[in-house]
Amino acid sequence: MQAKEFKPLPDLPAPLSTTGPIAWLKKNLFSSAFNITVTITITAALFAIIPGVLDWLFFSANWSGTTQADCVKDGACWVFIQAWSQQIFYGSYPGDEIWRVNLSLFLLACVIALSFILPAHLRNKVAVPAYLLLPFICLLFLDGSNIGLKPVSTDLWGGFSLNVLLAAASIIIAFPFGFLWALGRQSHMPFARSVSVTCIEFFRGTPILALFFMGSVMLPLFFPADVSVDKLLRVWIILILFMSAYMAEVFRSGFQAIPQGQYEAADSIGLGYWQKTLLIVFPQVIKIAMPNILATFVMVFKNTVFLLVIAVPEMLQVIMSALSNSNWLGGHAIEGYLFVGFIFWVCCFSMSLLASSIEKKLDTSHKN
Amino acid sequence: MFSNKTTEQIKLETRPSSVGAKSFYNNPKYRGWIYQSLLLVFLVSFFYTIVSNTLDNMAAQGIKSGFSFLNTSAGFDVLMSLLPFETTDSYLKIFSIGILNTILVSVVGIIFATILGFIFGVAYFSRNYLIRKISIIYVEIFRNIPVILQVIFWYTVFNSLPIARESFNIGDSIFLNVTGLYIPQLVGDSGSGLVYGAIVAAIIGVFSIKRWATKRQEVTGEQFPILWTSLALLIGLPLLALIVSGVPFHFDYPALKGFNFRGGTTIIPEFISLAVALSIYTGAFIAEAVRAGIQSVPEGQTEAARSIGMKESKIMSLIIVPQAMRVITPMLNSEYQSLVKNTTIATAIGYPELFTVFAGSALNQVGQAVEIMFMTLAIYFAINMTISFVMNHLNKRTELTTR
Repeated sequence: MQAKEFKPLPDLPAPLSTTGPIAWLKKNLFSSAFNITVTITITAALFAIIPGVLDWLFFSANWSGTTQADCVKDGACWVFIQAWSQQIFYGSYPGDEIWRVNLSLFLLACVIALSFILPAHLRNKVAVPAYLLLPFICLLFLDGSNIGLKPVSTDLWGGFSLNVLLAAASIIIAFPFGFLWALGRQSHMPFARSVSVTCIEFFRGTPILALFFMGSVMLPLFFPADVSVDKLLRVWIILILFMSAYMAEVFRSGFQAIPQGQYEAADSIGLGYWQKTLLIVFPQVIKIAMPNILATFVMVFKNTVFLLVIAVPEMLQVIMSALSNSNWLGGHAIEGYLFVGFIFWVCCFSMSLLASSIEKKLDTSHKN
Repeated sequence: MFSNKTTEQIKLETRPSSVGAKSFYNNPKYRGWIYQSLLLVFLVSFFYTIVSNTLDNMAAQGIKSGFSFLNTSAGFDVLMSLLPFETTDSYLKIFSIGILNTILVSVVGIIFATILGFIFGVAYFSRNYLIRKISIIYVEIFRNIPVILQVIFWYTVFNSLPIARESFNIGDSIFLNVTGLYIPQLVGDSGSGLVYGAIVAAIIGVFSIKRWATKRQEVTGEQFPILWTSLALLIGLPLLALIVSGVPFHFDYPALKGFNFRGGTTIIPEFISLAVALSIYTGAFIAEAVRAGIQSVPEGQTEAARSIGMKESKIMSLIIVPQAMRVITPMLNSEYQSLVKNTTIATAIGYPELFTVFAGSALNQVGQAVEIMFMTLAIYFAINMTISFVMNHLNKRTELTTR
């Protein structure tokens, strides 16, 4: 008897009720009476709000022109942003010298790119010094008096570029300080430990605004009477100390995540303390702590806006003084604030996306 | 066979002996002392320079030192005060008004931020697609915009409200206009003490019933309808007292007199803008914490609860949330503390909390930066330490008991 060849029947399509757009709608939007009500309410609300908002933002907004008189339609007046765009991004920095600000931003971007594309064995040797030198090189260019360029007083620096550069310069210098404080916090020397803990807790527990205030009213008292320290420099010092405290905590959690075996392995091949710390621990801590470092950077970047309280012309401060300009008294506050909010949102959101993608890449643990 | 030596000591002994290998500066113990004494010398000289410079500068600028300024008359007005205040009152009074205003806005902010945070954090796990998306959009928008910009934005929105004559009107008792929110005030007449007493008694009663019911359930397994009895107690007892004492309350309604409203309670726009901005901003962070907390509870917990036949509505409150709280509570602690620190942004819109009135206005007039900043910071540290203490206590109760 010959065996019958087995011929499978073709697969049936999945039942309509479990796949496809209708099933998705049923499961995600209309699964119960409560969900149906919620879906309808939210959709109705969105339909009521969104057309008006879109209309105000885009369709009947004023896009071209140079003065307030050009804002004739009843939508948003983006002419206001356009007219002030140079101040918003560069403050009162002289127009011919703006290439120096752009160069600084470009260098910052280069150094960040450098740390990603360099081969692993060069990364720490080249990228770390490049990072640490960057703020001072930018400072030389922006100030200009020491390298034969036209000197630009720090009162004129401002706008969004100031927010970016100040935040970047603070976190870069705060890196070694924070690392040192974190090492101090877990050191076996009791006095060094208590000094580190005091520093960290003081700068973490104090409102950043109070620190800025101290920088502007108390710090001048600390210097000898004949030394006058630039306002922006004082702000920078304060930001560095503030960041160091937060970075120290980030590093501390990094230290705790490194297995004890790594320290013991380093000991067993006879590395000294600094060799162990810089060659074994530091590279691993940086990797583990990267998402938190980015989150800390986002925090300090948002906090640079607080500088408007002590009249440093950062982005929001520029917008606010533009709003009180006699040629622009038409009440464009909402446009201005939305623009600042949008710029900050784009920057911070993309950084938090980057942080979570790094976190996902590093996450090798098997939960549950 | 195994010695009790530390790694460092073993290292010292086994290393190929160079000349100075055994000398005292290679001993980690002595070296530690040397480093620490260097640090001490540095710190002492650092602080000596700072203090002597400060004293010199203060003498040169004619700034007095000490706390005697606290008893002198301040001579400026504050926008909002929980205590009766006159412009002739002392700086100490200003200080305490500032503290109270800070605490008020912090408490209101913490309550609303927690409510918003828990609503949007749980909404992330909703079965409804739109609700899930709204939760994500809320968190991602408000978390990533500087809080000071949000405060200024809400203040601007508030300032574009209509004037008093055209104010929004809810039932002729609540009014909203550019000068603030006006709500009726509950005024107790004679005999209202009985009602307050009834409320306190009801709260105590609820707690003791809950305790008794838990104990009984542990012993016999019988459940007691705690929710309904508590509600009955909380509503019934004060209501009974109200009827017995003949409703000893009346509302003081705000009414338009001249250019503005009189009577009732006024909530100033600065307070509302600050409270709204802080609640929304911190709420976004709390929502993120709640989401992380719920995600940290393994899926198996839900399945196990279903398999023993628990109701879906009880799984969240009895199984998921208590375990999620272990992750949430420490994060709530730091969010609450940063909310308190963020109240200082009131300076940007002029709400008279501690930082604005004391480190701002008072410092401007007195000029004694060191003393004033010291007092201000001490208060922020005290508030944050209190929060930390309470939250750590809560955390102890939710912590995993390990054997």
